[in-house]
Amino acid sequence: MIHYFILQAGPVSSVSDTNNSFNYFPIAIQLIFAIAFVAIMMGVTHWLGPKRATEEKLENFESGIEIRGNARQPMAVKYFLVAILFVLFDVEVIFFYPYAVNFRELGWEGFMAVLMFVGFFLAGFYYIFKKGALNWED
Amino acid sequence: MNELQFKALLPYSLLATASIIVILLIAFRRNHFMIQVVGFLLMCGVIFALVQVRPLLPVAIPPLFQIDGFALLFTGLIIGSVAIVGLFSYIYFEAREENPKEYYILLFLSTLGSAILAISNHFVSFFLGLEILSVSLYGLIAYLRNRNHAVEAGMKYLVLAALTSAFLLFGMALVYMDTGTMSFPEIAQKLSAGGGSSVLFVMGMGFIVVAVGFKLALVPFHLWAADVYQGAPVPVTAFIATVSKIGVFAILLRFSLDVNLQNFPLAIDIFAIIAIASMIIGNLLALRQANLKRLLAYSSIAHLGYLLVAFLPGNMAGVEAAVFYLLAYSITLLSAFGIITMLSTRKKDADDVEIYRGLFWKKPLMALVLTIALLSLAGIPLTAGFIAKFYVLGAGIQSQLVLPVIVLVVTSVIGLYYYLRVISVMFAAPVPAEAWEKTVSPLFYNSTYIALVILALALVALGVFPGLVVEDIRTLLTVR
Repeated sequence: MIHYFILQAGPVSSVSDTNNSFNYFPIAIQLIFAIAFVAIMMGVTHWLGPKRATEEKLENFESGIEIRGNARQPMAVKYFLVAILFVLFDVEVIFFYPYAVNFRELGWEGFMAVLMFVGFFLAGFYYIFKKGALNWED
Repeated sequence: MNELQFKALLPYSLLATASIIVILLIAFRRNHFMIQVVGFLLMCGVIFALVQVRPLLPVAIPPLFQIDGFALLFTGLIIGSVAIVGLFSYIYFEAREENPKEYYILLFLSTLGSAILAISNHFVSFFLGLEILSVSLYGLIAYLRNRNHAVEAGMKYLVLAALTSAFLLFGMALVYMDTGTMSFPEIAQKLSAGGGSSVLFVMGMGFIVVAVGFKLALVPFHLWAADVYQGAPVPVTAFIATVSKIGVFAILLRFSLDVNLQNFPLAIDIFAIIAIASMIIGNLLALRQANLKRLLAYSSIAHLGYLLVAFLPGNMAGVEAAVFYLLAYSITLLSAFGIITMLSTRKKDADDVEIYRGLFWKKPLMALVLTIALLSLAGIPLTAGFIAKFYVLGAGIQSQLVLPVIVLVVTSVIGLYYYLRVISVMFAAPVPAEAWEKTVSPLFYNSTYIALVILALALVALGVFPGLVVEDIRTLLTVR
């Protein structure tokens, strides 16, 4: 009964239309997983990671730029390229969510459309790969 | 989507695939020559698909597209122009840049945007097509970013296009607020049911006019034209002058025909004022211009003004005149820009009129082609430009548009001055010639030359026997 809620794919209304506290059970599970995930990640990295307290490492982390002085320092244009590509692919991935939620209703036609979308997407990926946009070192 | 709709959409899908194919070709490290040839074959494929689609029409693909004879005509014009612009691009970019391949991706993408404008009958597809067109154009205009004026031109176009897109969206929102729908036929229904002089609708139209006027470089939205024409690479300038304007004019025409803009005298008055202002100001600004690219920019402002005179009546005669006018106009401009491309050297575009001094005595055929093109722009008899203007005048007089027609005639006479000035420079005594630079690729140089001669012959042929195409245009326009 619960998997309907988690996958959101089946006819939800057929499960139960009554509003009881059990309906909120998946949300509770999700909350527990979210908290546990964050706690484990932070705990394990503190426990396993090597600690070398150099001067640079003890500074506040400001996403890689100098924390004092002029903010307009030159930086490699590659950062910009990677950031742009990240945004691009991020936006493309967003299109998968509506499909994933509705994939059963959309059927084969929807599958073909998504396959075509992924094909175009991979062509673009292949292009930037071959152009060397993801090569960090020349 | 059923099979028929899929088939009717085939030319457009092929056009969309073209840029993907070019991307893959670049990824496989194919050279410029290969990409050029494949691109040209793809454009031929699109034209072939258009011919195949013709008997199936009209096909509606609700809610976004309507593929009919009207769309077919404009798409054919767009694709034909792009095939020729692509041909110019080879010799132009081969002389200048090591790696001009991405240029073709952008070129085909913006063509796709323009073609979508030709078939859309919904605000959403209108906006999407316009954005595909203009976002690729930003890149195209500033493509040779190391050269003078290129980034300036790209930046100007970017800022103004973004601004006018905002106007367009607001205009669409107002029309939506008035009618509650975004599809052109439904807007027409709502308007005819509601009596049809709603303030909101006319306001919305006013905002849409800003965006359309910007793209068509109509006065008072023309300030970018000269700078962008000058700063962009010559093939891109040819592209802006033909393909982008054809697409935007197509959607303007379809929208106004669908909603019967004639029932809104206020909107028609706005267009009439814009047309008159464009004709007068475009021609006056071109008078003292010594830079051929800028001169053609101002001349195109004036020509779009003439075109609007054919748009004003909103009947079939006007549409026929407009289509013929666009055909003549694009052939003319393409041959003029082709000559500029061929004379441009590695260091400098051939945009100074002085470069053309005595051209006739050095390269008579080229000078003749440019002469025919300029005469056609001026509207001298025996060229296509004359017949086109004649049709526009006919359509205007039929609908008793007295003032626009008078302005058209008077400004045409003024325009003669600057076209003839360039021609007289070409036939003047030659200055001692510096050596012409060696051409990069004889094959493409010669095929561009041949294409230009064919275009010039087509101009004369259309001027003498306009019946060659007028009947076809008329029959295609009845497929609605």
